[in-house]
Amino acid sequence: MTVGELLSSALRGITANRLRSALTLLGVMIGVAAVILLLAVGNGSSTRIRDLITQLGTNTLTVRASGGFGFGGPGAVAADSTRKLTLQVADQLAASKLGHVAAVVPQVDTALTVSSPSATEDATTLIGTTPDYFTVTTNRIGSGTAFTGADVAAAAKTAVIGTTLASELFPAGSALGRSIDVDGTTFTVVGILQNVSSTGVQDADSVVIAPISRVQRSFTGFGPISTLTVEATSADDVAAAQGETEVMLDQLLGYDPHAAAGTNGRPAPAPYTITDQTQLLQTAAASAQSFTVLLGAVAAISLLVGGIGVTNVMLVTVTERTREIGIRKALGATRGAILGQFLVEAATLTLLGGVLGVVIALVGARFPINGTQPEVLGFSIPLALGVSVAIGVFFGVYPAGRAAAMRPIQALRAI
Amino acid sequence: MTATLAPPPPVLELRGIRQTYGSGDTAVHALRGIDLTVGRGEYLAIMGPSGSGKSTLMNLLGCLDVASSGGYVLEGRDVASLDERALARVRNRRIGFVFQSFNLIPRMSALANVELPLVYGRVRRAERRRRAEEALELVGLADRAAHLPNALSGGQQQRVAIARALVTDPAILLADEPTGNLDSASTDDVLEILHRLWAAGRTIVVITHEDAVGARAARVVHLRDGLLVGDVRTGDAVAVASTVGSR
Repeated sequence: MTVGELLSSALRGITANRLRSALTLLGVMIGVAAVILLLAVGNGSSTRIRDLITQLGTNTLTVRASGGFGFGGPGAVAADSTRKLTLQVADQLAASKLGHVAAVVPQVDTALTVSSPSATEDATTLIGTTPDYFTVTTNRIGSGTAFTGADVAAAAKTAVIGTTLASELFPAGSALGRSIDVDGTTFTVVGILQNVSSTGVQDADSVVIAPISRVQRSFTGFGPISTLTVEATSADDVAAAQGETEVMLDQLLGYDPHAAAGTNGRPAPAPYTITDQTQLLQTAAASAQSFTVLLGAVAAISLLVGGIGVTNVMLVTVTERTREIGIRKALGATRGAILGQFLVEAATLTLLGGVLGVVIALVGARFPINGTQPEVLGFSIPLALGVSVAIGVFFGVYPAGRAAAMRPIQALRAI
Repeated sequence: MTATLAPPPPVLELRGIRQTYGSGDTAVHALRGIDLTVGRGEYLAIMGPSGSGKSTLMNLLGCLDVASSGGYVLEGRDVASLDERALARVRNRRIGFVFQSFNLIPRMSALANVELPLVYGRVRRAERRRRAEEALELVGLADRAAHLPNALSGGQQQRVAIARALVTDPAILLADEPTGNLDSASTDDVLEILHRLWAAGRTIVVITHEDAVGARAARVVHLRDGLLVGDVRTGDAVAVASTVGSR
């Protein structure tokens, strides 16, 4: 038999029961498409988190005040004995000119109502900080300018706002140079941030950023600040900068990490915590990784279920065709010829379904799914295709082989 | 006229063939020791009531089944000693089998069905086509070559099956109740074709329980309870055959 004859005879076998062949095709198709697509979604979300890590910059540390908020227990007692993380501490930290620290950016946060003559936005994030904020963090100036060191010194009522807020407050024209009202205090908009991609619940583009001195004076008071962003001199120096900052902060805040506190003999908890930005994102990346694994498991199960469906159909098909096998054997077909026929049929059917599944997955991966752009993993295509074709071919050929091994009369008498 | 000639060389010889299904108390002895020789050019009818073992015997002759014991020599070859591949070759080249229920493969045209044994015999495509068309011509169905089996009448299907059995030019044509599923007109068609083939020199073995079918054979053996009980050579059949052959 030539290849063309083999294929046309396989096609005849496949079209003999159209519905059954279509279901087999569908099973393989869905299994293959699910594996490729689910792995692509998991991979896509991992990639997005990796991108965010590079976007954030890897040379910053975040210092947050900890304890002292009425949690009770020894921690609260210890916090009372140390100084708070205030703007003065930040200034002293900056003034101490640590070897691996390039900049210290203090930050206070609050949420207030912001309004323009035409619109009002409730619970908008207000950040009080210094001009270094715009170079150290990922919030960069898009248009206009940042407020200056002089503005901070003078507690000027100047502000930089995010793009979302700008378009909501001033839908008609540019917000630059316009006045906004922040809980009764009027600020002049001097700059607008670049768009940033947002990962959190909050819209990072709906924000007002003003000189820290003004924010403290008008809104938050001169108590502890929320965070301190420390920029290391380079990404390699982050660990060194963290060590230096800890030593200096312990000194400035009067905290001795080795001293026992309270009556239980445990060391007092530090009045602050330092987090490396990348640590947070590495955690996120790790969870994205396990998400991919989970999706992969779901995909594997769907492939398995599809495979069982294919198996079932193949078994029924071959059983039904045992008589045909008997006729062919009576006419002089060898076992090999029968196996070859069923092999070509099963391979044609499952390959067709598999290739369709790959096409569907590749087309589907072009569209974002739940905000994530899927990225097809190269190995997933041969893997999914190989497994489904192997299942289909094995269960198409194995029972045919059993039937072909019978005496012709046994096969002829079947059914 | 055959009476005046020397016995023809045997095409097949059975020696002490026994076929037993099951074992112990429940064993069924379908054949209890059959000795039979069929010479070249013979037209043999094997007759007997149902349960006499005639289908079992036919399946053994066609190499569709293997005997429990006994010897079967087909054209000088001991069939019992053949392996699976060699048996497939014997079925393909030496034996043409016609079934009671036609056993054409559905969804394959009459021509494709007739070609099938040649496919397994590794005959080239063009040669295959030519020989299959010739075989269909021989049974008078050249104009139905492209029809699917379900578009043919029972008689036509059986004639396609005969063409399929003949297409490899086998040493012997075995027909298991070839007219069992046919009306009387189709039965006559099929019997006439068998006679014509015999007259042209084919060796034919037919199984039947119909006297009318057996009456047209040149030799009739009777089977009863797994044993041969009669072996009759009739002159009538020869006469009928020669008149058919001289048409």
